[in-house]
Amino acid sequence: MIECANLTKKFGDFTAVDNVSFSVAKQSIFGFLGPNGSGKTTVIRMLCGILEPSAGTAQIGGVDVVRDTERVKGRIGYMSQKFSLYDELTVNENLLFYGRLYGLRGAAAKQRRDELVALTHLSPYLDRRAAMLSGGWRQRLAMACALVHKPSVLFLDEPTAGIDPVARRELWDLLFELASTGMTLFVTTHYMDEAERCSHVGYIYMSKLIICGEPDDLKQLPAVNPTGTRRLDVTCDHVTVGLQVVRKLPGVRTATVFGQSMHLLVEEALPEEQLRAALREARIHTADIRPIAPSLEDVFVALTAEHSQNGGRP
Amino acid sequence: MSFLRGFRAILFKEFLVVFRDRGTLFFMFFPPLLQIIAFGFALDNDVKHMALVVFNEDRTIESRQLVDAFVNTQTFRVIREVHSRVEMEAEVRRGRAYAGLQIPPEYTRELRAGRRATVQVLIDGSNSTTALQALNTALGVGLRRSVELLLGETGRRELPVEVRPQVLYNPAMRAPNFFVPGVIGTALQIATVFAVAMAIVRERERGTLENLLVSPLSRWGLMLGKLVPYLCTSMTMALFLFTILRWVFGVPIRGSLVLLFAAALFYIFALACLGLLVSTRAKSQNEAMQMSMSIMLPSIFFSGFIFPRETLPAFFYGISTLLPATYFIELMRAIILRGATLAEFWRHLLILATMGAVFFVLCALRFKKKLA
Repeated sequence: MIECANLTKKFGDFTAVDNVSFSVAKQSIFGFLGPNGSGKTTVIRMLCGILEPSAGTAQIGGVDVVRDTERVKGRIGYMSQKFSLYDELTVNENLLFYGRLYGLRGAAAKQRRDELVALTHLSPYLDRRAAMLSGGWRQRLAMACALVHKPSVLFLDEPTAGIDPVARRELWDLLFELASTGMTLFVTTHYMDEAERCSHVGYIYMSKLIICGEPDDLKQLPAVNPTGTRRLDVTCDHVTVGLQVVRKLPGVRTATVFGQSMHLLVEEALPEEQLRAALREARIHTADIRPIAPSLEDVFVALTAEHSQNGGRP
Repeated sequence: MSFLRGFRAILFKEFLVVFRDRGTLFFMFFPPLLQIIAFGFALDNDVKHMALVVFNEDRTIESRQLVDAFVNTQTFRVIREVHSRVEMEAEVRRGRAYAGLQIPPEYTRELRAGRRATVQVLIDGSNSTTALQALNTALGVGLRRSVELLLGETGRRELPVEVRPQVLYNPAMRAPNFFVPGVIGTALQIATVFAVAMAIVRERERGTLENLLVSPLSRWGLMLGKLVPYLCTSMTMALFLFTILRWVFGVPIRGSLVLLFAAALFYIFALACLGLLVSTRAKSQNEAMQMSMSIMLPSIFFSGFIFPRETLPAFFYGISTLLPATYFIELMRAIILRGATLAEFWRHLLILATMGAVFFVLCALRFKKKLA
């Protein structure tokens, strides 16, 4: 559904997006991850046709975005960062405005508004000015506005930034509902738990797309699971102190805190007993040690480190 | 209709936003109204009843008649009599009096003896307008006294030559008649350029412009959808300003009202396009404000609003020919005060229309449906 090849964007000397290629299948939820300033928004803007690529091509549903921008516009919805809305207008007026903008008139605009209000549960707020909505409701309204013309691809740029956890969960429920109707979703996010929910993820770092694929496949990558190593979850008291202890052990490659436990990447040969002993020596009680599969975060950390070693600066 | 796609949506939305956003509405209407009131009432350069101190060392009927002659011109009023030259100078220096009149003790004696009698007038030159007026009046009083005395000697009753001036169009030479049409020009300019520039820059700052760019809205739809609402608000304001001109300041409108509003429409269109042009460059509301100001200031100084254009150095005169305000203010004075007709001023209208068209085309060229 989305197809881009060697997409590049330069602003003067600065390369914001460097030779990015990937494709997104119809009906999938593509999670686009990466730190701030890595080029996520620039990629979205190029895919939406509002920013001209310096090089490379992009297609939406087989239509070239650069050459045939106007034809693409009817097929895509875009929910920009920070839920840009007209604060002076009410929820109802915002919806009707976007409906008219996409050529809906009179009864058709009202009917579409009613459908979107039902989908996003905005009915209690119809006559409220957008400025008076809380973050979660603004996000729903922005989403409803982006859906007004029934796009087949919806781009969402950090749709959950600054939103409370309940609203976040509800948004994802909504996204799954949309995907089930055949819509393709392209979502940028910072949250790893959201990335885990995506059917496909891409990770962009320092303007380059480092990896792209299904989360489960990525976790099997050799770079993530170096031969002769395994991943352990260690639950113990005083994890932050424990972290300093285990990091000094030979055979422990990486160690990070994960809530009440630590995630370690260790040599296959390192016995669990040695870990317990080291922690006991520091007067830390170890409750449990169990092998785990890598998380997406582990994947990205491993790949970023590898990328940095191969010439890219951190 | 595809080249105007989205026009009606933008138009409708923009009207709603204008009327909802009280702050913008206030800033569009309040400063021009304040400006016209301030200029109309306060900027009155008819100098009357200037404070005069008198040092009369003569104290005769003749010397008092001279003082009365000064007062009768209405230009001066005597605030007090002083008793020394030093005191007189001090009053002028302190700013209590604009002028001082010193009549020497031998004034009457010299007059009667048929010799030349001299009086001295000190004038505060720090304000050139009042100084000029005081100087002319003082010289006029002296001349008139002399002529009256000479007439008495020759036995003639009338002056040999009499000039009968007739001031056309503004017989009372009231300052508001001159200033207020100019104020309308600058007031409309501030409100229109700024409002239109803000209307787009605000969308850019908020991020809603991005939403518009991904929609099938056409470039013309966006430009016209943004222009038309502000043409309407500015025309409404023009109506207000003309009403104030006519009924508050009592300036008669001699020319055709149709021509007056046509001139306003052409002018406002050129200004709105200028505002649009500003918005294609300005990244923030602050930048838009500064850029608008850099257009406004020359319009205030070089458009003939305050200073006659003919006295400008060549360079500034050149600037003045590029300003829409120059032509509009000339049109206003011509139509309102002189009752000029289309046949006499079609060139100015044509220039304003051309400016509007050029700005509009420039906007269209600069207005890309892409982000920078």
